[in-house]
Amino acid sequence: MKILVVEDEMLVAMLIEDLVSDLGHQIVGPAMRLETALELAETIDLDFAILDINLAGKQSFPVAHRLTERGIPFMFASGYGAAGLMEPYLAAPIVQKPFDAKAVASMLAKVGME
Amino acid sequence: MHTQPDSGDPFGFLGHSGEMASLIRGFDWSKTTLGAVETWPACVKFTTAMLLQSPVPIVTLWGEAGVMIYNDAYSAFAGFRHPQLLGANVREGWPEVADFNDHVMKVGLAGNTLAYSDQELTLYRKGTPEQVWMDLYYSPVPDETGKAAGVIAMVVETTERVRAEKHQKMLINELNHRVKNTLASIQAIVSQTLRGVDTKEEASAAISQRIMALSRAHDVLTDENWDGADLHTMAQYALDAFQPAGREAISIEGPKIRVGPHAALSIALALHELATNASKYGALSTRTGTVAISWSIEPSQTDDDEVFKLSWEEQGGPLVRQPDRRGFGTRLILGVLPQELRGTAEIDYQPQGLRFVLRSSRVAVSDTPLVAQGG
Repeated sequence: MKILVVEDEMLVAMLIEDLVSDLGHQIVGPAMRLETALELAETIDLDFAILDINLAGKQSFPVAHRLTERGIPFMFASGYGAAGLMEPYLAAPIVQKPFDAKAVASMLAKVGME
Repeated sequence: MHTQPDSGDPFGFLGHSGEMASLIRGFDWSKTTLGAVETWPACVKFTTAMLLQSPVPIVTLWGEAGVMIYNDAYSAFAGFRHPQLLGANVREGWPEVADFNDHVMKVGLAGNTLAYSDQELTLYRKGTPEQVWMDLYYSPVPDETGKAAGVIAMVVETTERVRAEKHQKMLINELNHRVKNTLASIQAIVSQTLRGVDTKEEASAAISQRIMALSRAHDVLTDENWDGADLHTMAQYALDAFQPAGREAISIEGPKIRVGPHAALSIALALHELATNASKYGALSTRTGTVAISWSIEPSQTDDDEVFKLSWEEQGGPLVRQPDRRGFGTRLILGVLPQELRGTAEIDYQPQGLRFVLRSSRVAVSDTPLVAQGG
């Protein structure tokens, strides 16, 4: 799958890249700021996206809106866990930081089968 | 209280000489449903005298209309609304909370009490809406027959405490968020370092040095309350440990610029990787080699932003050549650093020494503070 990675911290972005490419997927990004993430979410053919919620002080929900409009599935990655989510994404899939590689893998596998 | 039966002063019962006492004396009470002072029942006189003595903000609301009489402490609480509130009907005196006070009057005049803890209301005390929190206590004031003639209210504003508690909760959330992100960063350092090393010893040393680099960058940011850092200070902290004893092999030069917390952290980590490489294979591995770090900020040719350019130039080291594999450091400085700073990064393996140039913009390196929601 072609997966958009949105994460504002360099080291963490590299980690997600590794987790995702180890599972055989292709990375788009990482987008580390809201503006870049929005641009990629609007223009690139994507199968999935992993969204950090806080991008250098701005929230990534506009990226989620755009992906929803385009029918592209995504999950959030957050240090807050589900407590960092807001409407209408309260029930959106989320992985907690630091990452459990198995949780990321099973989430991606689910998307791949749908 | 000392009574003065022969003075002929109808306000003699007040027994107080503060601002509110003199405003009460000067007010034309015959305009209100309470009537002229000569007609006031004993409970009104006694309660008024008592509340004037109190340091707690107290207001009394008399009759169905809730005619307001209050003390000096309440006048301070009422702000801009004072002194118009004196003698006003409570629903008109505080129109923004008329419904709330209507309920208070109905319950109080029926002989019942009300208590609210940290009640949130929006008041116009300064001409603009203001969110305030209060502890509020309402009780009926009985007349001689035992029937409620009015309502007495004690108003203890708790806005400052409520705000402090909210702020503390926000800080704890933010701390927890930062801890989780830091753990993810450590996870990233460990997993990526292990991919690129041959021995356990090498891995252990590299992991520990990278964690220390992250920690030093945190120190600088903590000093600045995490809202950014001076680039020169950040670079010095990142490179101090690499300065060889006895000589100034590393020079840092550039105009004063404040960089945002994300950019500061990333540039510090990049400098650490460059310095690590230089001490192993480059200019810092010899007795005479030098590294010059410099940056500039110049007007952009294409937009309103300014161009930020940072260079790392090694000289006098061993003959350099391009490494065979793209390790953690290369990936960080050439892969994600330019992504993060929305710019470009290049490494040039010139025979006289490695040269690294990062190009970005002032806007990109001055990112916004980390303290925010989400993430």
